[in-house]
Amino acid sequence: MSKRLLRVLSAFLLLTTLASSAAAQQVFRYPEDTRPSSLLPFFAEDMSAVRMCELIFDSLVVQNKRGDFEGGLAKSWTVDADQGGIKFVLREGVKWHDGEAFTAEDVVFTIQAAQDPKTLFNSKSKFNFIREVSAQGQYGVYVAFDRPVPEAEKRFLFKILPKHGFPDTAISRKDKFAREPLGTGPYKVKKGGYSLRSIALEANSDYWSTPKVSEVLMQHTPDKSAQINLLQYSGGKAGVQAVIFLPPKNIPLFENSDSVVLEPYHTVSWWYMAYNHENKALADKAVRQAMALAIDRQELLEAHLGRGDILSGPFTESSPFYNFQVEPTGLELERANQLLDGAGWTRKGDTRAKGKVKLDFEFVMDKELASNQALFLGIQAQLKKVGITVRPNYVDHAKYRDQVFTRRKFDLTLNIWSFEEVEDVYPLFHSKGVMNFIGYNNADVDTMLDTAKATKDYKKYKEQMKQLHAVLAQDLPYFFLWSLDIYSGISKKMKGVYIQPYYYFSSFPEWELSP
Amino acid sequence: MSGAASFLALAGRRIAASLLLLVGASFLIYFTIRSAPGDAVDAITPMGTPPEIKEKLAAEFGLDQGVLGGYGVWLSRSATGDFGESLVFAPGQTVMEVAGPAFEKTLLLSGGALFATVVLSILLALFLGEPSARQQGLTGALYFITSAPGFVSAVVFSAAVNAGVQRFVEQAGHETPAWYPIPIYSDSIVPYFFAGFVLVMGDGLLMDTFNAVRAEILGVRGAQFIAAVRARGASVTPHLWLNLAIPIFSAFVSRLPVVLGGVVIVEYVFTLDGAGYLLLEASKQRDFPVVVGLSVLFTLAVIVVGLLSDVARSVIDQREVARDG
Repeated sequence: MSKRLLRVLSAFLLLTTLASSAAAQQVFRYPEDTRPSSLLPFFAEDMSAVRMCELIFDSLVVQNKRGDFEGGLAKSWTVDADQGGIKFVLREGVKWHDGEAFTAEDVVFTIQAAQDPKTLFNSKSKFNFIREVSAQGQYGVYVAFDRPVPEAEKRFLFKILPKHGFPDTAISRKDKFAREPLGTGPYKVKKGGYSLRSIALEANSDYWSTPKVSEVLMQHTPDKSAQINLLQYSGGKAGVQAVIFLPPKNIPLFENSDSVVLEPYHTVSWWYMAYNHENKALADKAVRQAMALAIDRQELLEAHLGRGDILSGPFTESSPFYNFQVEPTGLELERANQLLDGAGWTRKGDTRAKGKVKLDFEFVMDKELASNQALFLGIQAQLKKVGITVRPNYVDHAKYRDQVFTRRKFDLTLNIWSFEEVEDVYPLFHSKGVMNFIGYNNADVDTMLDTAKATKDYKKYKEQMKQLHAVLAQDLPYFFLWSLDIYSGISKKMKGVYIQPYYYFSSFPEWELSP
Repeated sequence: MSGAASFLALAGRRIAASLLLLVGASFLIYFTIRSAPGDAVDAITPMGTPPEIKEKLAAEFGLDQGVLGGYGVWLSRSATGDFGESLVFAPGQTVMEVAGPAFEKTLLLSGGALFATVVLSILLALFLGEPSARQQGLTGALYFITSAPGFVSAVVFSAAVNAGVQRFVEQAGHETPAWYPIPIYSDSIVPYFFAGFVLVMGDGLLMDTFNAVRAEILGVRGAQFIAAVRARGASVTPHLWLNLAIPIFSAFVSRLPVVLGGVVIVEYVFTLDGAGYLLLEASKQRDFPVVVGLSVLFTLAVIVVGLLSDVARSVIDQREVARDG
């Protein structure tokens, strides 16, 4: 580079650096794929909002690094002998971000607001087990259940809201609180920190365990390649210190990086290929089984998504319900062809048919799903070998939800299920399950799910889930694909990093940002 | 009819036509967005949401009304400047609260880029003068550089700047600027300048405007009345610019829709928080009041600038009024 050019560039950079010296502070920056839908925890419907709420609010109970449940806003708790209620003793001296004292009235208000018929939010049913809640003095709360609830403390991970932050218990998603939240958590929204595409937080100096990073800046950066770019240049003032989810294809870029470390973390999520059972051909078990035998999951996973576990049923391998006695099937083209021949599906040209019904399916794909095109092309090529034709229909996210989940206009689709701490598959596979969008109806499976739901003994429940795993692996309501090894890319300047499954930022107050 | 009355009549007709155009455009936009598969309720509710909650949400969002009824309500409210409230993107905020500041930035960016394009085109036309064989190399190179689609120019430009800054920082040991690397959301104004530069240099805008401006300049310079002025020994400059004002302003106005279209993608690439970014995000979330409000603002901007152009032309050239009146 010539000296003159260097001088010109130097002057330009100096000017622009001076012009934005405010950005030179030590701040933990991270990009999000989606803009948080709301900072009001009831309406935190996407993961970016869940992560933000994790920094701003507290819950009565938290899950520690070992996976055990310990006190958050609750100092201790006692469960009734008959499991019909729980009494919490609250932490004293906790303040809301505006300086008001946190009391039992806030816990009572949160539960009553969640149960108010005028408060409309998706996870409202999580509060259905509560019959009554009452304050016992300033720092005691008793919650009565409508039935015995085993391990009840696990159900109190929801965020607590300030009673003085709302006029009454009917809370709307339009409330100003969604932009100007008031929590007791380790971070609070900076004055003027909520903008169109970024949210700036500052450490809550009143928090019981002082956060080590003084500021957090979330930037909405929908383009994944831009996120990767920002992480690569994390030495720059505006670079980011973490990318929450690294697409598998970008992992090699950081494997031997001097500035970025790959942090694996566990999420309870698995991929599946769903069959629409209302389609005559797909209602035939032989067709579903043949498709499962014709698709090489290992090849698809390694070629397009990276590392993970091939699954045989509706749980991840780390789940207590996973049945390791059920082996995942492998690629068996010959057996797939035999199954189809045996069921009367004969080849007519490229596509098999039985009477007028052809094995020709519309495969609806969400454009936002990672590697959707590559995965589809792989599946299409593999199914072609056994005489099954699939036609792609890529649609945007909102249309996908409408077409697949609401109107059920699809034959096949590919997607992911993610779970919080409890893997409940009842809504997916019970004929009356609210998430059974595939029209699956198996009386034996319904009985198994109903029995398991009524079981109070956890050991028995675990065994019943393992049996269910075996039955579903055979019947194939879905073709269970894999669970991915998830990696976050984090700047080596960050110390003490521990990523909480699902919530990600639960232990963020302990993270440090070295200069 | 007197000159003033004719002018008022012409202005009245143009305003009425513009209003009709705006109503027609807003209906088309509203109809298209409401008819698209998936709505705001689908965008925010996970599968398994009880139907009664979905129904109540649909009622809360005004999605239970039919398209025609909904448009009627929207039209009557927007006539008073109330474009409704955002449903998903910024629940509880009015469309104008969300879209106003973003649109202002976009308008400034587009207007600034277009103004720079016109000024550059004039300078280039004055510098090059009559087309000649000697200029072919230079104009050919400029055509080649500026003909790339806007998003390609934006991506290539940002990659080049990032690589250049990194190399420079390594060589000179300089501190990295706050806007680095591109794209990043920052308070710095620098990315706006970069975006403006890409708007000027992409989509063939510069050379298209240059061609139009040069043709006008050469046309006026060669006109008989200029020769007459010259023959009288008077200065031709005031005559030249007075006669160029209308065509140059027309060049500005006619290219505004192109720039407003291009700015959506450029804002996305440079992560600027303008109307383009907002429009894309609100569309993804099916936040129809924001999408309709913004689209109408875009349409309104084009109509208003066109109207101003007509009025300016009428003021400068009374023959327009006589012809239309």
